[in-house]
Amino acid sequence: MKRLRIARCGTQLLAPSAPRRPSCPCTAAFQRNSTPHNHRRSLTVQATAQLPDGETRHDIAASEELSEEPLKRAHSQARRHPPEALPSPHPRSAKQSAKLAALRSRLSLPSRFPLETLARTLVHPSADPDPAFNNASLSSLGSSLLSYYTTEHLFCNYPRLPIDIVFAAQYAYIGPKALATIASEWGIEAAAHPGGEVDPGLLQFLRLRSGEQLPPALRRRTPYKWNLTKTHRILVSDEFGSTSAEPNPEDLAKKPVPLEEAAQSFVRALVGSLHLHLGSPLVKRFFRDHFLSRQLDLASLFDFRHPTRDLSRLCAREGFEAPVARLISESGRLSRHPVFVVGVYSGKDKLGEGAGSSLDEARVRAAAAALKAWYLYKPLDVTVPSSTEGGVGAEAWKPNMIDCGEVIV
Amino acid sequence: MPLSGLRTVAKAQNGVGAFILQCKRMDFHYCDFGGSSRGMKDFIQTALPRFASKYPQIEFTVSPRPGQHPAIVGHFINGKQREVSVRKLDNRQILEKVKELRDASGEKLVRSNKPVTSTNESVRGIWSPFHGSRVKI
Repeated sequence: MKRLRIARCGTQLLAPSAPRRPSCPCTAAFQRNSTPHNHRRSLTVQATAQLPDGETRHDIAASEELSEEPLKRAHSQARRHPPEALPSPHPRSAKQSAKLAALRSRLSLPSRFPLETLARTLVHPSADPDPAFNNASLSSLGSSLLSYYTTEHLFCNYPRLPIDIVFAAQYAYIGPKALATIASEWGIEAAAHPGGEVDPGLLQFLRLRSGEQLPPALRRRTPYKWNLTKTHRILVSDEFGSTSAEPNPEDLAKKPVPLEEAAQSFVRALVGSLHLHLGSPLVKRFFRDHFLSRQLDLASLFDFRHPTRDLSRLCAREGFEAPVARLISESGRLSRHPVFVVGVYSGKDKLGEGAGSSLDEARVRAAAAALKAWYLYKPLDVTVPSSTEGGVGAEAWKPNMIDCGEVIV
Repeated sequence: MPLSGLRTVAKAQNGVGAFILQCKRMDFHYCDFGGSSRGMKDFIQTALPRFASKYPQIEFTVSPRPGQHPAIVGHFINGKQREVSVRKLDNRQILEKVKELRDASGEKLVRSNKPVTSTNESVRGIWSPFHGSRVKI
């Protein structure tokens, strides 16, 4: 599982906002008293060539803070730097966007969640490489949060789930495909091409043209190790047990990416920004409503190779009697459609039952049913770790059941 | 490898956790001169502001379309759009059309001849020859 980096990411993002865009007329007037973040401004690397007279963003922002009438000056700058010159929409334009306001109320977010942040979550690094304006940092925070909430839900509610099924379930809930589907179900539309003049309610990313190859960061992923063990996948790899690391958002700057990549970064960034602006209780509710409420049949994720062997190993480990398959009933043995119902018994206890068109098929199905019944055990009283966080309304911690794990064959 | 996991995507159940209204945008088109737009102009001036403030999750746009009959276009989350002509309709009739668009899912209208459509498996299970009353021959 990926380790949590919430504290580090959070403090970095929660710092008071610096006057960011040089040409914004309002920020200079309102934020004159706030201390500028010089270290953050030193990160601005992009688009300096578009400014005239060799004037950089640093110079403009510094002169804005010193000047007597910043509003007038900023207006003249806005005239000199049209929105088309910016790589992504100006934060000022978020207030005017009907799409953003509609999206916020469609997701039932409170009005104290600012539209400017919502607009920022829609900017992928491929559209705007500036880390102060794109969603890369919010997205990495949101990714950690999503994997934390999903993992604790799965581990606490299904303590006996094998790790491969945990990986598959994580992928089904918050995998790249799932997140892209969620974004489209929220009614997110993508802009044809990113730019400062585009409506900020549209997903901003550089589109992959037809026939074009994926960027190298997405195409060639070096595996962590060539002989990747399960232990390594648990300890080092991400929440889906991937064999290779995720691409660095800096490598995707100004590179055309597929829609799925941009959409998943938006959903993650939205979760991250909700955590920063509204706090964890609301994010947990948001996660429960939009992610955990989706339908996933965990029993359909199992793919057994030799269920009968696994079951006999499991019975030996748990000290049950060795499993025996017995025919419960049959119909039409000599016909074209025979049906056999076979039960797997350990002593007098029936562990599982399965029907099949041959005796062997029914026996294997019965063993798989017995294994699923064991692995999908769900305790009644569960306390997830995140529910004990926070002072008011936090639950008292009750230890959960911990199982010794799946059968090792 | 005794066991492996199959990769799928969890299915959405709109309304189980969060409910998302499927209509995301409505365009109102009218003509300033045509008589068929009289009701539409009245609707835009009187009823539309109240309706729009009641449904902030829908984006409303109003634009003139000179020389054409008035129409309302609804855009839905699944990417489909539906155009309704409101020619010669009055204020109240247009409001009903707008409510129809608001409640629509954007899917094509299909007659459903099954009593229940569900993604859950049936409670009774598949019919089995070994349960229930035996047939005596």
